[in-house]
Amino acid sequence: MVDFINGATAMACFVAALFFLRFYRQSRDRLFLFFGLGFSVFCANRLVLALLEESHEATTYVYISRLLAFLMILYAIVDKNRPESNQ
Amino acid sequence: MAEVVYVLCALTSLTCAILLLRAHRRRPASLLLWSGLCFAGLAANNALLFLDKVVITEVDLGILRALSGLIALLFLMYALIWDTR
Repeated sequence: MVDFINGATAMACFVAALFFLRFYRQSRDRLFLFFGLGFSVFCANRLVLALLEESHEATTYVYISRLLAFLMILYAIVDKNRPESNQ
Repeated sequence: MAEVVYVLCALTSLTCAILLLRAHRRRPASLLLWSGLCFAGLAANNALLFLDKVVITEVDLGILRALSGLIALLFLMYALIWDTR
């Protein structure tokens, strides 16, 4: 059951990434590019976690890449909300 | 090391949620609202990860973690598929 739910989540991340990359292609707004890349990383994360044992030492690096994706998205949101970027 | 990563994931996703919801309050847009809710769900997912791996190790919270992640992404799926052109 957990594997099924995680698979559905990975697919949802992939679809979200595609949507955001499409928005980037249409608008050239880098916020969407970063969101698309971030959700691509989340999808890849879930794929790798599905392949690894939970206690495998490499899972720490998977979560580090997840953190980097969140930081990238956070940077994109802050960058978008800066006064200069709205001019 | 791993514990620090789990906490930072939760904090960054929570920060993303707060910023997105604040932006929605300033200038209402449904994608901002649902994205904010998605990241709030991802923050809950990351918090459950920390609880599962570090705090409550006797009980398996895997199903809760999986469900929280899925629900978070369902919010975003709704916005992207139903609410955007």
